[in-house]
Amino acid sequence: MKVSLFITCLCDTFTPDVGKDTVQLLERYGCDVDFPANQTCCGQPAFNSGYKQEAIKAMKQMIRAFEASQYVVGPSGSCVQMIKEYPHALKDEPEWRERAQAVAEKTYELTQFLVEVLHVEDVKSTFQGTATYHPSCHMTRLLGVKDAPRILLENVEGLHLIELPMKEDCCGFGGTFAVKNAAVSGQMVDEKAQHIDETGAEYLIGGDMGCLMNMGGCMSRNKQDVKVLHIAQVLNSQ
Amino acid sequence: MGIKIGDKPYAERIQAGIENSFMRQAVSSAQGRFRSGRLKAAEELGDWEDWRTLGEEIRHHTMENLDYYLHQLSEQVEKRGGTVFFAETAEEANAYVQEVAKKKQARKVVKSKSMVTEEIGLNEALEKSGCEVVESDLGEWILQLDEDPPSHIVTPALHKNKEQIRETFANKKGYTKTDQPEELAAFAREQLRKDFLEADLGVTGCNFAVAESGAVTLVTNEGNARMVTSLPDTHIAVMGMERVVPTWEELEVVVSLLTRAAVGQKLTSYITALTGTRLEDETDGPEDFHLVIVDNGRLKILGTEFQSALHCIRCAACINACPVYRHVGGHSYGSIYPGPIGAVLTPLLDGYEDHKDLPYASTLCAACTEACPVKIPLHEHLIRHREIIVEREQRGAKSEEWMMKGFAKWASTPAAYKMSTKMARTAMKPWTKDEQIEKGPGPLKGWTESRDFPAPAKKNFREWYKQREKRRGEA
Amino acid sequence: MTVHNRTSFLDRVAENLGRERRTEVQAPVYSVQPQDRVFQGATQDELIEKLEAQCSVIHTSFDRTTRAALGDSLQKVLASFEGSRKVISAGGPRLDEFGLPGIYDELREEGFDFRIWNDQEGDVTFAEQAGVGIVFSDITLAESGTVTLFNDKHNGRSISLLPETFIAIIPKSTLVPRMTQAARVIHEQEQKGNPVSSCVSFITGPSNSADIEMNLIVGVHGPVKAAYILVEDL
Repeated sequence: MKVSLFITCLCDTFTPDVGKDTVQLLERYGCDVDFPANQTCCGQPAFNSGYKQEAIKAMKQMIRAFEASQYVVGPSGSCVQMIKEYPHALKDEPEWRERAQAVAEKTYELTQFLVEVLHVEDVKSTFQGTATYHPSCHMTRLLGVKDAPRILLENVEGLHLIELPMKEDCCGFGGTFAVKNAAVSGQMVDEKAQHIDETGAEYLIGGDMGCLMNMGGCMSRNKQDVKVLHIAQVLNSQ
Repeated sequence: MGIKIGDKPYAERIQAGIENSFMRQAVSSAQGRFRSGRLKAAEELGDWEDWRTLGEEIRHHTMENLDYYLHQLSEQVEKRGGTVFFAETAEEANAYVQEVAKKKQARKVVKSKSMVTEEIGLNEALEKSGCEVVESDLGEWILQLDEDPPSHIVTPALHKNKEQIRETFANKKGYTKTDQPEELAAFAREQLRKDFLEADLGVTGCNFAVAESGAVTLVTNEGNARMVTSLPDTHIAVMGMERVVPTWEELEVVVSLLTRAAVGQKLTSYITALTGTRLEDETDGPEDFHLVIVDNGRLKILGTEFQSALHCIRCAACINACPVYRHVGGHSYGSIYPGPIGAVLTPLLDGYEDHKDLPYASTLCAACTEACPVKIPLHEHLIRHREIIVEREQRGAKSEEWMMKGFAKWASTPAAYKMSTKMARTAMKPWTKDEQIEKGPGPLKGWTESRDFPAPAKKNFREWYKQREKRRGEA
Repeated sequence: MTVHNRTSFLDRVAENLGRERRTEVQAPVYSVQPQDRVFQGATQDELIEKLEAQCSVIHTSFDRTTRAALGDSLQKVLASFEGSRKVISAGGPRLDEFGLPGIYDELREEGFDFRIWNDQEGDVTFAEQAGVGIVFSDITLAESGTVTLFNDKHNGRSISLLPETFIAIIPKSTLVPRMTQAARVIHEQEQKGNPVSSCVSFITGPSNSADIEMNLIVGVHGPVKAAYILVEDL
């Protein structure tokens, strides 16, 4: 099975380890992973800010980069969901709409791909520690990936999961929201950090780098002793 | 009052909200209760998604045939002895009510809670023509005594605590007892009972009007709306033009959705369906009934991509689910319609000029869309608003526009993208300490006021991948 | 003129919807009917159980009795309330059907002052002073614990509203699963040309409010206490 990695601009720049773990995980299950080097950003920062025309330029670049792929897999529910939006955003350009549709249909979030396409529920990983999991909004509500991360994490040997209070609440990231409404965003992530603290977990696990950077940055500022991990890092841990 | 409340700019309102710790505590605990009530009510049904689908279909069908149903409604009301007035603007609606009040020589008007009458500023209009207007919903009465606008569409005085309420009652009405909610409510009961019995005119809103029979339905808990529609000789109901349902069969579905989504009740204490005037052999109920059907900006939403905003049944489930609302409170929105539905509806009804910041008061987490009992895609409407603000209204900040143009160039030019991710670490170096940025430049400034920002990695992913491929090639 | 500005208003509605005015609409067919599934196939006795359980949620006392013992039950319920001994009761054919005139006479001897709502001056004033209002439920909704009243000349709106205590006599035969069935009855009557009553009141327990710090306060403008008496009539 040929899989193209959709790295996302955040993982590419800030957390390359997440990309490495994603590649290794997929290879472990026999995927032939390639990395289309012309991929950039999914366009969400512009799209969600109302700059649709600007976002469309990014979208077209991404469509070109992934058109030839059999499957596209990315370690982010939010960025994958953005690709699912492409056909709708390009509805006024029939040719592009069709190309967008083809890319959208073969694009998956990492845990979704493992569970739904590869039918893997236990990745045979080992990770010692207590952790709490934050289900990101776009991954759960928009992409509809609710169970896959939980199923995979529950099967990790040595991992003790503690439920995060009010876990379905947004962490306050919201892309440009964190910049435009920084004060409100700060209050939201503070509340989230407090809930994480209440669990007493050593690790915070999530499936979206944007949310993790937000929560991690807050906990770093608060001097909270909680390490932040992307779910790919836990699933690829031996 | 009108839709807009206060003149403070958005940033100031938000800051005031964040700093109001009592209000935030009150809102947070209320949200918790509302949410668990709603989720429990949905769980009890077991097939909540089917209910939502049905709700959406009912609302969609009604909007698509709105002219037909409003015509039928008005025919039925007329048949039952009522008068119907279609008002294009707030001014027209108010002038009509003033005229009725004048004809009736009304001195005292009792009202039950109604958002549409807040929206058109009916109280001020009636007061101007010499009437004493008494709000009789407990929350609304508190706000009226305190001259404070509502901060929530179901529990309007959510932002006030019992001590503040006790003080208001003491200062304005000579109340002498404690701040126990039961004692405060008993005082309101005693005070307002007199008003109900003396009033010449009762004014209500309308949760839903049934086209097939002409019934105006009120969904309440306190019993004040029943007082308002049983005791005064004249009843005027004011409704937004979208609040109609075809038949009683649809009525019961939307009522069930409303009570469950709003407060987690199977039904509220009182669902009261009033049709026309009292019959000739009846003793109580109004002998004169008027229905005012209000456009006030709704009509121009019909037939647009925002049409589903008119599906709203005013349950506030989106408000109770919204984490932004929780931290800033209702007044921060500067509109009598706060929260996600307020951020969608307010610019539609009242224009972007005063409300262009509202569509951005959301992380687009879609908790609102998920909570909505009639499946309004609220977060999608918010994105669409942003597009209009930027592209059609040209109201985006220049710096942002410039940045986004840069973004488009960057994201559509792989070479530029590659170069920048490679250079990011070096570029951020002046601000980086121990792999964290504590005081970021430009757009990062706000972010780093409350949290750290990570330094870009030493080696980005694509470099690692390239080297790996190279090693593999060599091997 | 009793309808103002209609034509211009509705013309604009149609125009915005991008079509001519509609003078006919086919009754819609919806893709799902979850409302029919609630308590589907439940017997009357099962519905009574649901109703009784719901009564504890809505702060309402629940008694079950027979026609013969209705007087005793009513006396028991009345004895449990303090306050004004004035009682206002709905009238109409069911008063006799359930033998209430005799029961009221007996209770009068115990010091209760009964008045039957009879469409006259003074009804409202009496109701305002009364401590208790008694009504018959026309349709009873098991799911929500709701009594439906078709208010009319025998059954004023004020009876269930002004007194501090509200008593509903619920004939077992009036029990249905939920609001769906009540709405259907009204809809079918409308279609047969029998117009709905000027006021239909769906009443679920006593009045309440959560407007002060979300504390549930039972008893605001309407009744403070509510009692249901279910009577076997089948």
